[in-house]
Amino acid sequence: MKKLINREDTAGYIFTLPFTLGFLFFMVVPMGISLYYSFCNYDILSAPTFVGLANYKQMLTDGTFWQTVKVTFFFAFVSVPLKLVFALIVAMLLLKNSKVSGIYRAVYYLPSIIGGSVAVAILWKRMFAMDGVLNKILQAVGINCTISWLGDTKTAIWILILLAVWQFGSSMLIFLSSLKQIPTSLYEAAMVDGATGPERFFKITLPLLTPTIFFNLVMQMINGFLAFTQCYIITQGKPMNSTLLYTVYMYQQSFEFYHTGYGAALAWVMLLLIGLFTLLLFATKRFWVYEGDQ
Amino acid sequence: MKRKLALLAAAAVTAATLAGCGSSSATGETASNSDTAAETATTQSAESSEGSSGSASLTMAWWGNQTRNERTQKIIDLYTEQNPGVAIDGQFSEFNDYWNKLATAAAGHSMPDIVQMDYKYLNQYVSNGLLVDLKPYIEDGTIDTSDANQDVLNSGMVDDGLYALCNGINAPALLYNKTLLDENGITVKDNMTMDEFIQVSKEIYEKTGYKTNLCYNQNEQWLEYFLRADDIVLYEDGKLGGDSADPYVDFFKLYEDGIADGWVIDPSVFAERSIGSVEQDPLVYGSSPETMSWCAFAYSNQLTATVAAAPEGTEIGITTWPSADPVKSDYLKPSQFFAISSDSKNPEEAAKILNFITNSVDCNNILLGERGIPLSSKVADAIAPNLDADTQRVITFVNEVVSPNSSQVNPPSTNGASEVNDLINKLQEQVCYGQMTAEDAGKQLFEQGNQIMASNAG
Repeated sequence: MKKLINREDTAGYIFTLPFTLGFLFFMVVPMGISLYYSFCNYDILSAPTFVGLANYKQMLTDGTFWQTVKVTFFFAFVSVPLKLVFALIVAMLLLKNSKVSGIYRAVYYLPSIIGGSVAVAILWKRMFAMDGVLNKILQAVGINCTISWLGDTKTAIWILILLAVWQFGSSMLIFLSSLKQIPTSLYEAAMVDGATGPERFFKITLPLLTPTIFFNLVMQMINGFLAFTQCYIITQGKPMNSTLLYTVYMYQQSFEFYHTGYGAALAWVMLLLIGLFTLLLFATKRFWVYEGDQ
Repeated sequence: MKRKLALLAAAAVTAATLAGCGSSSATGETASNSDTAAETATTQSAESSEGSSGSASLTMAWWGNQTRNERTQKIIDLYTEQNPGVAIDGQFSEFNDYWNKLATAAAGHSMPDIVQMDYKYLNQYVSNGLLVDLKPYIEDGTIDTSDANQDVLNSGMVDDGLYALCNGINAPALLYNKTLLDENGITVKDNMTMDEFIQVSKEIYEKTGYKTNLCYNQNEQWLEYFLRADDIVLYEDGKLGGDSADPYVDFFKLYEDGIADGWVIDPSVFAERSIGSVEQDPLVYGSSPETMSWCAFAYSNQLTATVAAAPEGTEIGITTWPSADPVKSDYLKPSQFFAISSDSKNPEEAAKILNFITNSVDCNNILLGERGIPLSSKVADAIAPNLDADTQRVITFVNEVVSPNSSQVNPPSTNGASEVNDLINKLQEQVCYGQMTAEDAGKQLFEQGNQIMASNAG
């Protein structure tokens, strides 16, 4: 006993115990249960009955499932690059050290903190409503616009993308810190050689940023696939499932149609998709990510 | 020494965090380690102190609108005032959210003690053993039903048990903007036929620009009502009613034609609203005639809330839903029930509350028939003089317009109905957006709907 207490790592384990227990009971156990449910016919109210792979087979013929996959991929593939480009531009602008740049950084980071909230989603919904702020502004400058931005199948998804892009803050901060780490001597040398601004950006800044871009890309892609609040609050997948994100469909199946077994199966397919996609990104890494001189 | 100190610190931090997580064994000693733990401990002791001093803490959940929420909260306050030691936590949601929450709570065996129940969900909840049979409480006198209308009382029966106590009688009601119609010299009559309704809607659209919300995406009862005119029951056991897709095609045709002629409201209006919320209904809410409707397909007990939600100076009228055969289509139904969940640790106290709601005149003087006409005739008579003009209108409407011109309500819907309902809504959406013809929508509904019903029958 004394020996155990005196061991170097015992204290460490005890310190991590709260997390370990929390992780076990709130992550591992629920995940196990969810995996079991995904092989069951389960409607929440009655006991689950084992049905094997039926839920997974059902996806193949479920038109709505394929629609949500399409919408989610579109959402992630458009919003994430846009967000990163935007984050990089803002980071470059905020790079210059001045007295107020600290305030600006905080201000531009703000949407990332509040952007995922329900309140902002409701605000967004009102802004783009038929009688919302956007149409009012357009009318004020003489454009007679009565489009229902959220009611049109062509525009609705873009409203969600816009909200996602607006939350560029965390990527921006990461870009900012790695921009600062690029040695100024490189730029000075390039200037002596007569390199123009764009040349310096594409030949020095961008290559040296690739590890950061990679990191941001992976993190934001995962976030993009898991987006829920915006869609759930703003559109509920309307109109005609044109904005129905995967996670919201999962929620609908599980808690609105009471097909919780099917919902659980959807969740596991999502996990596989994200895993596969991340793997794919890692596979391309060596072609475009600069890892230093080896 | 240092190592021991670190170990001690680690143990203390861990203990405090764990206690904070709310482990039920949190004792006084660990609780003093952190504020959160202390808080948890107090709330827990408050919850578990029932029984020791005759005190109890219950939760009660319902769906509804602003008016109902305020009135129900008031009767909870009244009950806790008259019964010191009883604490009731009232929880309310919109209809759709309510059922999501309740199902999740049922799975976690943490349903509220008293739940508001709907006719269509009653079977499902009873067959899964989630509700308590109220008969013993009626037999031992805890719940007094001697003044109750027996037919209405029996609507809460499943097999041999009485699982839910009806708290109001209801009928489908078409609520309309009477001010608008009066200004334009248009009148509507009770028991309108479908053709007359379409005629009126077109006239209103031409004169005022106001459109018609043809019960958009709330089809469960509306399609059922529509089909009843042809003696078709929408949800039969394991199948949809009718021998062919024709009646379903006719249903979607209404929308196809209405959109083409312009009098049916554009579906994009609903992208911004919570469908089913009285406050956001196009009848009372909207910026221009184009986004508003002259009428709303609702229930008689929604009149009070609709009047409250309507802009000042707008008078709301009440009439029947249109149908090719109004007498066959129309019906009276229990608007909703209160039931006691089998998760309740204190069913006796919950039964007392149900008795209070059913028989207390004081209580019903607060509720004032907002959920529908009270179950107990004694109570209904006692509160009659205190009812506001709108509720009086509802009673007249139910008793004099619907009652003599209606047929027996459909049996509660069977398994698979909620999924088919979603399918109807999706098809209707596509028809209204012009992405699908009524012909295709009707056929798809009949085919896929039957498949869904069959797969859920087992």
